[in-house]
Parts: sequence; structure tokens; C-alpha cells
Amino acid sequence: MLAALDTLSPLALSHFLMTGAILFVLGLIGFVTRRNLIIMFLCTEMMFQGVVVSLVAFAKLHHNITGQTFVIFVLTIAAAEAALALGLVVLLFRRRRTLDAGAWSAMSG
Amino acid sequence: MLLTATLLFLASVLGALALILLMPRPRKNPRVWRVLGPAGALVGVSALGMAWLVVALGTDLVEMVAEDALGLPRTAFIYYYLFSFIAVAAAVRVITHRRPVYSALWFIMVVLASAGLMLVLAAEFMAFAMVIIYGGAILVTYMFVIMLASQNEPQHEDDTPAYDRFANDPMWASVAGFLLLAILLSVYFSNNAIAANPDAAMKTDAYVIENQLANRSLNEENKELASAPSTSPDRLSNVERVGLDLFESHPLAIELAGVILLVSLIGAVVIAKTHVPNEDQVARGPAGQPKEAV
Repeated sequence: MLAALDTLSPLALSHFLMTGAILFVLGLIGFVTRRNLIIMFLCTEMMFQGVVVSLVAFAKLHHNITGQTFVIFVLTIAAAEAALALGLVVLLFRRRRTLDAGAWSAMSG
Repeated sequence: MLLTATLLFLASVLGALALILLMPRPRKNPRVWRVLGPAGALVGVSALGMAWLVVALGTDLVEMVAEDALGLPRTAFIYYYLFSFIAVAAAVRVITHRRPVYSALWFIMVVLASAGLMLVLAAEFMAFAMVIIYGGAILVTYMFVIMLASQNEPQHEDDTPAYDRFANDPMWASVAGFLLLAILLSVYFSNNAIAANPDAAMKTDAYVIENQLANRSLNEENKELASAPSTSPDRLSNVERVGLDLFESHPLAIELAGVILLVSLIGAVVIAKTHVPNEDQVARGPAGQPKEAV
């Protein structure tokens, strides 16, 4: 039986924040290192995941539901971002037949 | 506290090392890498273990296992470790796997595990919304695009395109990332713990039922809620609390979220309708006639 928490001690909060931070940092590293455009956007979604875990943990610590409400808006942004970014990725793929981010390095000037 | 900080920093260094070993890179000698891959995984696991050991040492280990020492019931404590291990391991696979399809599948694992963490935090609605929206909708979109934009199915390992086989500067990225992680963790586990803010405390269920629900239009259902047995302290479920907070306190934000979704919808349609020439074919078109590809 999964026992949900009633209250969260500051130390337990640190546990959840640590998981969130690790997810965020792994997403960050993936975004910088991977060269596949789709994986790069997948990594931004992973950074969102880390932030969401932290938000829900803080909501529990402060006994305030607004932290959870905010997750809904994070989800909204994530959905909008996925739609636009993936549309752009398909557009770029049709142009050069590659998903390599390096193929567009001319844009960095 | 110096010991904690040192151990946390060491764990971060080990994590960075593991990630460098696991990152896709040109492999001139596959036999060596067959050993180094699992070695990297081992280093990663030990880094994770060390980070958690630090957490345990930061408190009293014995005290921690005892019930309620953390404000966590014991079972929730076990579930926390289980889910966060799955989340972190899957996250590493997302950024190290050579095939995008598998990366996306591992990301679903990350989503499921963090939904589990949210269940431990008693945020049921968020957990299931996460699974439905991320695991269901967004990841399916990703899968579609991966299928659409993939070259011919690779026959064996080395057929994947070069940009999936090599990572860009894995070393410096890992070092920078894990430095950030070490700093974050040293703040999280420092002595001055983050205390709960009493001003931010949520209104009690009884208050909400008497003062907020009474003014709302759905009187029949609210009366039912209000007449619920007053012995139980939590008469409102997580979904009801989230819904109330969303519509009572953030009406403008909802409208703005709607606008964002609308704009991104229009943007996606515009992008999808843009006609782009395939530059390869334009360049190689017969006798200088640009050939348009769809």
C-alpha cells in the first residue's frame, strides 16, 4: 500500500529537491551534449520534470496547494513548446534531411 | 557538515565521471568500451548511493529508519528511494542512448517514476495528469516525429547516423552540470534548512467548505459536500482542492494559458503549411532547375 505523506519535514523536502535537481541537471547536460534535435527537446522536457517534482515537494512542505496548481501551467507550456518545437524540427528535417543540430550552426553566426 | 559537503562533492564528481563514460562517443576499440560501459554504470550507481548515504549520514541513520523521523511514514520512505532511483537511472539512459526511439521510451519511464514520487507527496491529480499528458500526449507526438524524421531503419549498431553516435563535448558539459548539481545539493543539505512558511499555509477544508463553496453556484453538490461527516479532517480530495485553487485564485492565468495554447496552435499550423525546398535536391537539381520537395 502506498502511504502518502501528511507533512514533510525539511530534511525529507531536501530528498525530493535532490531528485528534482538531478533530473534538471541531467536534462541540461543532455541538451548541451546531444546533437539530435529531437533528443535536445526531449531533454528540455526532462528539465521540466525536475522542476515539477520540486514544485510539488514545496507545495507539500508549505501545505499550500498553489504549488500543484502551478504544475498545470508548466504542463501547458510544455505542451505548447512540444507542438511548436516538433513542428520546427520536422520543417528543418525536410530542408536538410538531417536532425543534426550542427547542420544549422551557420545560424550561430 | 564539512564531511557532508565533501561527500556530496565527491558524489557529484563520480556522477560526472559515470556520465562521461556512458555518453555516446566514437568507439575505436569496441572491446574496451564493452567493459567501460558497465564500469560507467557502476560508477554512476555508486555516486547515487553515496549521495543517498550522505543524506542518511546528515541525519541519524538509526533515527531515519524509525517511523516518522523524517515526517515520512516508513513505507513512503522506501517508495521515495525506489521511484527516484528509477527516475534517475532512466534519465541517464535518455541522454546516453544512441537511438532516439529508445530515448523517448526511457523518458516515459522518467515520467512514470516522477508520477510515483508525486503519489508519495499525496498529489494524486498531478501524478495522473502527468502520466496522461506527458506519457500519453506529448511522448506520442515525439514518437510520431521520430518516426517521420528517421532515416532508414538501422540494420546494426553502427548504422545510426553520426550525430546520434557522438556527443558534443561530454566532458565539459558533465563537469559544468555536476558542478551546478553540487552547488544545489550543498544548499539543500546545508544547516539552515528551508522551514515551512506559516503564512503560506492552505486554508482548512472546513473553512473552504463554509466560506468558499457556499458562495458558488453548484449549490446541490456543494450542500452534499458541506454535509459530509465533519469527523474526518480531509473532506476535500486533492482534485477538489486543486480545482478550487485554480479557479478561485488564478482566473487570469487560466485565460493566459488558453491564449498560449491558441497561439501555439496557430503557430503549429503556420509551420506545418510552410513550403520548404529540400536544399540537397535544390543544389543537385538537373541543369540548375530547382526541384521542390515536399
